[in-house]
Amino acid sequence: MSALLEAGGVTKRFGGLAALDGLDLQVERGEIVSVIGPNGAGKTTLFNTITGLYAPDAGDVRFEGQSIVGLKPSQITRLGISRTFQTVHLFSNMTVLENAMVGQHCRGRAGLFSSVLHLPGQRKEEQRVRERAAEALSFFGTRLSGYRQDQLAFVLSYANRRRLEISRALATEPKLLLLDEPTAGMNPTETLELTGQIWRLRKDRGLTILVIEHDMRVVKGVSDRVVALDYGKKIAEGTYEEVAHNERVIEAYLGRKAAAG
Amino acid sequence: MIDRTFARRVLRFGLLGGVTVVYLALVGMVETFNSINLIGGAVTLGRLLLVLPPFLVGYVLVRPRVQAGATVTPSPVAAVLGGAAAGLAAGVLTGAGILIANALPEQLSARNVFVAVTPSLLSVLTFGHSIGIGAALLAVLGAVAGGLGGGLGVVAWRVRRPVVLGLTVALLLAMLQDVFRVSLTQLGLATGWLYSPRFGGLTYLGALVAFAVPAAASAYWLSEGRTVRERFQGIPKEGQKPVRVMIIAAIAILLLVLPYLLGSFLSAVLGRVGLFVLMGLGLNIVVGYAGLLDLGYVAFFAVGAYTTGVLTAAANSGSSIHIGMGFFEALPIVIVIAALTGLLIGGPVLRLRGDYLAIVTLGFGEIARVLATSDWLKPALGGAQGLIAIPAPSFFGIDFRDPQPFYYLALGFCALAAFVSYRLANSRVGRAWVAMREDEQIAEAMGISTVRYKLLAFAAGAAVGSMSGALFAVQIGSLAPTSFNLLVSIQALAIIILGGMGSIPGVIVGGLFLVGIPGFLTEFEQYQLLIYGAVLIAIMLYRPEGLIPNVRRTRELHEEEVLQDAWSEGVPQGEPSTISWEETPR
Repeated sequence: MSALLEAGGVTKRFGGLAALDGLDLQVERGEIVSVIGPNGAGKTTLFNTITGLYAPDAGDVRFEGQSIVGLKPSQITRLGISRTFQTVHLFSNMTVLENAMVGQHCRGRAGLFSSVLHLPGQRKEEQRVRERAAEALSFFGTRLSGYRQDQLAFVLSYANRRRLEISRALATEPKLLLLDEPTAGMNPTETLELTGQIWRLRKDRGLTILVIEHDMRVVKGVSDRVVALDYGKKIAEGTYEEVAHNERVIEAYLGRKAAAG
Repeated sequence: MIDRTFARRVLRFGLLGGVTVVYLALVGMVETFNSINLIGGAVTLGRLLLVLPPFLVGYVLVRPRVQAGATVTPSPVAAVLGGAAAGLAAGVLTGAGILIANALPEQLSARNVFVAVTPSLLSVLTFGHSIGIGAALLAVLGAVAGGLGGGLGVVAWRVRRPVVLGLTVALLLAMLQDVFRVSLTQLGLATGWLYSPRFGGLTYLGALVAFAVPAAASAYWLSEGRTVRERFQGIPKEGQKPVRVMIIAAIAILLLVLPYLLGSFLSAVLGRVGLFVLMGLGLNIVVGYAGLLDLGYVAFFAVGAYTTGVLTAAANSGSSIHIGMGFFEALPIVIVIAALTGLLIGGPVLRLRGDYLAIVTLGFGEIARVLATSDWLKPALGGAQGLIAIPAPSFFGIDFRDPQPFYYLALGFCALAAFVSYRLANSRVGRAWVAMREDEQIAEAMGISTVRYKLLAFAAGAAVGSMSGALFAVQIGSLAPTSFNLLVSIQALAIIILGGMGSIPGVIVGGLFLVGIPGFLTEFEQYQLLIYGAVLIAIMLYRPEGLIPNVRRTRELHEEEVLQDAWSEGVPQGEPSTISWEETPR
């Protein structure tokens, strides 16, 4: 069986700059893969290309064997790829539960007429959306459940906002979850907690996870495989140990001299 | 004791008040409104305009404000004196204006520029006295009004609230004298004690009652320590529902009997209000729910009106198409065609946001009018002459062109549109719209097809707007392309901005206020746009969420303030975790 996600020769240029330059990437079902690389290496561009926010200039992205290039982000989400963002982007004037319910949107069907007429199917669906959204929130225990469900997203603490973003992504019922720097800005305790939770996402929910991360303890803690990018190209791939000791990776992070010395 | 900042503010506010009075006089409002007697023969609306600005500047001047990080409230004495001084400044400015205008030689007369400056305006401004005495009177009245305003501004909340309520009720009763006199007479009640038969306005007794009764009622409520709203919110959740149902039922009954209380002429005004409320409800779906600023909403109104006209008109209507359908048979077709037009207009603007969207839709609104005027479509739409002989809708022999049946028709449509809006807002569709309004790109990434929901908003908004257009076509029975100008779009937008975007009760109140009041008071009509402008500026500055806001919209507009508050109060943090790196759950 083919890999869950296969990117072949993906290139994305912004003017003269190739943010992604013929990148190949495969993610197998049930894998947790980390993407690392210095700033500007093309990590977020990779995510944006996979989720359809950008159209690649060359190459192909296949999900479950089907090409998803040219699909709209909403269609890709419906197929089963969901993501979080590097900087938190919540619907800040909606409640915590409503944010998760928006995630459930792509699993619902109610349209204009059934919503106005409150047809039985619509009521059942609304009930289901509510339950599944609450279930997605319960992944983080009591942090987003109970009274917090009715709080507005913008009153949440920073870490909880990050957690809500993950919950909202979970509410779309994805097969592949893309996490863009999930621990950025979190304190060490929260980072540690989230590391365990990324692990649990696969164990309890059977998700395949692609994660961009700068905190090497997290990368070490969660990854089956690490992919290092620099200037839009893959410079190393393998286990954490292999990639961490790869000369090109060290060079990319620290510069040629440091690598030589 | 009076510091320089305060003195400077006094002068600035006073001059502002004075300029306002002079302006109102120059554009002719003072003189025109002088024919509306509010209380007896002495207090006219025109004269009220002379003292209202000083009163308001006195009031605003002394309100608590933040200065160098602390809230400053002037002492009562300073407030009254400051208010009086500001009022005096305003009065003096007005008085000086008269003296200067009077002293100018004929060639330089203000009349050459301002046609409203007439001898009769002068007599209003001087209260029938000579110029000198009139100017002095204005100064004294300004000072008194400013002092009263200042006093009201610093007096305890428990006194201020009843007084303001009493004054508001008395003013409304006096201004809407025709409405209330007619309805009281219809109810078989004597009106002589309340409204003076000779002057038309309130009698002195009536004015006293109109002020004292609501003020006393409000004072009684407040003596219990809480406002009505707080009391309502104090009732447990289960208890709130019957109260809510009772309020809605009371409003519904009032709306149903209103035409019988008001009679034919005033019912026609209400029908017009209904027309605009309907338009506001439709635009509210596009702008309020989906956040797509549409300045060409008149296009949907026009499509509804012309489609109805063409489908139902008799043979000699000016259109070469003669179908002659009944209104109620044509209505579904009209709605479908309008919804398709919504898709048609929505399509090209899908990628546009904010200002760009507004400009492009503005263009579509104009295109609709130009098409209606064009020779190309003249065979169908009648060109510049428009359509005539559009029959009135009839149902079991009821002629819906009569004001009262028409009112019920409009009311029914409005109720339907309000119901649809309400259901949509609280559904999967409504959630998708809110998400899209908050952050379009993220909504798309979370699986909401923004194309689909934008088009849906345009189609739904167009459908409701076309119902309004259909009513418009049959109300008079003729259509002219000049009725479908930019002003209609602006008016619909003004209604939802005033009432509160995304709020159904807000749209209704906005419609009553912006269409009803100018309709009931014909003198207002020529100053309608001036008043719109002033009201919109005031709303944007002091209450951008509108009169009856949608809760979420309010939060969007005040997000930064709330964030600051949350920060200063200390946002609760997540519970500390107890696991450590050593026990990484691997």
